[in-house]
Amino acid sequence: MFAARRATTAAGSVASRLYSTASSAKPSVKLIAELRKITEGVSLSKAREALAASNNDLQAALKWLDADRAATGAAKVAKLSGRHAGQGLLGVRVLSPGCRPGAAGAVRAAMVELNCETDFVARNELFGKLLSDIAHTAAYLAEPTHGDKFIQSISCDALSEAPLLDHLNPQSSSASPVSVGDAVRDLVTKVGEKVTLRRAVSVARDPFPAQQRHLGLRVFPFVHGSVHVPTNGIKGTLALLALKSHNLPSLVSSEEFQQKLAALERSLGRTIVGFPTTVVRSDSAHAGAEALYDQPSDMFMDKQGSTVQEELRLWSQKHGLVADGAEDGGVEVLEFTKWSVGEQLEDN
Amino acid sequence: MFKAQLPAPRLIARRLYSTRVFSRGYAEPASNKFSRAKPHLNIGTIGHVDHGKTTLTAAITKVLAEKGAAQFTDYSQIDKAPEEKARGITINSAHVEYESETRHYGHIDCPGHADYIKNMITGAAQMDGAIIVVSATDGQMPQTREHLLLARQVGIKKLVVFINKVDMIADKEMLDLVDMEMRDVLATYNFDGENTPIIMGSALAALEGRDPEIGANKILELIKACDEWLEIPPRDLDKPFLLPIEDVFSISGRGTVATGRVERGVINKGDEVEILGLGTKLKSVLTGIEAFHKELDRGEAGDNMGALLRGVKREQLKRGQVIIAPGSMKAVKKFQAQIYVLTKDEGGRYTPFMANYTPQLFIRTADISTRLSWPEGTADAEEKMVMPGDNVEMVCTLHHDVAGEVGSRFTLREGGKTIGTGIITKVLEYA
Repeated sequence: MFAARRATTAAGSVASRLYSTASSAKPSVKLIAELRKITEGVSLSKAREALAASNNDLQAALKWLDADRAATGAAKVAKLSGRHAGQGLLGVRVLSPGCRPGAAGAVRAAMVELNCETDFVARNELFGKLLSDIAHTAAYLAEPTHGDKFIQSISCDALSEAPLLDHLNPQSSSASPVSVGDAVRDLVTKVGEKVTLRRAVSVARDPFPAQQRHLGLRVFPFVHGSVHVPTNGIKGTLALLALKSHNLPSLVSSEEFQQKLAALERSLGRTIVGFPTTVVRSDSAHAGAEALYDQPSDMFMDKQGSTVQEELRLWSQKHGLVADGAEDGGVEVLEFTKWSVGEQLEDN
Repeated sequence: MFKAQLPAPRLIARRLYSTRVFSRGYAEPASNKFSRAKPHLNIGTIGHVDHGKTTLTAAITKVLAEKGAAQFTDYSQIDKAPEEKARGITINSAHVEYESETRHYGHIDCPGHADYIKNMITGAAQMDGAIIVVSATDGQMPQTREHLLLARQVGIKKLVVFINKVDMIADKEMLDLVDMEMRDVLATYNFDGENTPIIMGSALAALEGRDPEIGANKILELIKACDEWLEIPPRDLDKPFLLPIEDVFSISGRGTVATGRVERGVINKGDEVEILGLGTKLKSVLTGIEAFHKELDRGEAGDNMGALLRGVKREQLKRGQVIIAPGSMKAVKKFQAQIYVLTKDEGGRYTPFMANYTPQLFIRTADISTRLSWPEGTADAEEKMVMPGDNVEMVCTLHHDVAGEVGSRFTLREGGKTIGTGIITKVLEYA
């Protein structure tokens, strides 16, 4: 009897579907509200259109919306293209920091900047989630490099083509992959502002071979001005450390050393972002005021010296990287990339 | 040769022009200015970029201009604001103003969260109430919650909602849905969802002078809703008396006189007063008021006055203390504050700082050293950095107590330059 009833309702719904295609069904307000609850950011008129086109069938309307976003999203993006997107956030993602106990020592990380028109949108969850996902994707896709330059810039066009990974659940995205570009476009249709992927950098290195166990690489981010997600902010850096010591394998496996190293990285991160640094060391082209190594170490927690360079030397001694007086070994900053959201870019 | 002579006359012309404007300001003060007799309220528009904030603002001035209660301000004049922002000038709250039957409104556009917070802290733009603008075609958007959170954060308790572009929606049920959704989201963010006035109309229709039933009439309805629903902040004159002491004299045969500019309230000769701050809390009676070199019976907000105090020794008074209506304020020792840290370009620091930074805090005429720290429960508090340009919520621990309350503004200085400005949001410890 139950089965029979089910059968009749099914038949009924088919019938009504057929009927209403003939005379377009009036979308129920309740369903519009529900549809808007399910897919945040769908405008009222779109929700109504979707339901009208799919005879008040919620699932069908959701499919219709997906198809419509693909179809009309580009037009919306084009319509907003002339506007200025000077706000937004940058996001960092470290998939493998290097120098971890047990791990092989590869490094893999990325930093991306996503722009929008107002900081209201930048503060919204949808924006923050997408940014984290894109940063994760960029880090995941980075090709290991070998040259002198560690941090490589990624073409935003190429990144836009890539399938977007969910940073909270990277394994999940397989059924219907959405490209980074499509996800950005979908966000545009939801928040109604111009949203653009402005720039992206990544770093990826294979671990050192076994005979170079005394060498280590480490990548770390620092983000300032976070709103909800600590890895998204308005100023930030991605930086690389080199460690060299005969004790390195045993040091790296010590939990205490890992904590001290993380604290050192945060101190360096604050100094890079907080002070007007542009290079690691001063040279003929860059005065000392711009060099990280010449900055005061005011942002260090366990301050021992007066400049960053001194701090690094003393830190290496204190934490057993170098024996007293020995010249060989220690920790140094190799490279950093520092961004501020909306800053003017040099033409390159 | 002619060319060389050109700039000079122009310069003179400009100079003449500017003096003329200046003198006119004095000669006929009423010609161009609104009467300030009506109570004043600063009102802001918040909403998505395409939902018609500027159109609504222009429409309000147009509709009210027809009643002689505003000067019509069109798009281009209103959109002057972004330009000013680009030049580093704060949000201009004064360039659009209008009057209703009962009130005078200053209109503020709120382009961004950080911009607005900064302007609120510095006092450049203060919204007493706000109109949330939402398009009927889109309904509330993901960022609507950020708009409401900002309103909450800056202490706005009541809002009016304007649902715009209703002419694009034929279905009445759809409009009901927008209404319902807005009331829902208002309630979620602790506004009175049930009673908040929601006006549905078309700002464009009002601006173009067509369809008065959704145009001009709705604008008038909106203003009426603002009049009735939004609350007027108390005027300076209606607040309890407060005179920050700038200087202290002793006049032989008469007693001790404290001078300063009355910040708020009214005082009469013979009134009881309290002297507060810098470790002092004592009562006295105001036995004489002197302003403009005359003996007066009454002093009020804005007056520079001398206050003759009964039974108080000169040594008991110091610059930085306040004379107040008894019991109207307390001395504070520790409070939480919203602080804007000036950028290098604004004359502030060029380097960051962390907790335990100890600048000088200037509040009214007082100058007290204060320690800055993070509110309890802040994650990684001891490692958190503050950079010039940041808006932060921090705890100020004062070296001496001073009269203060929620809403009191102060500046932070170091080595003779202003590095930050703040507003008290929560008192944590009284003296």
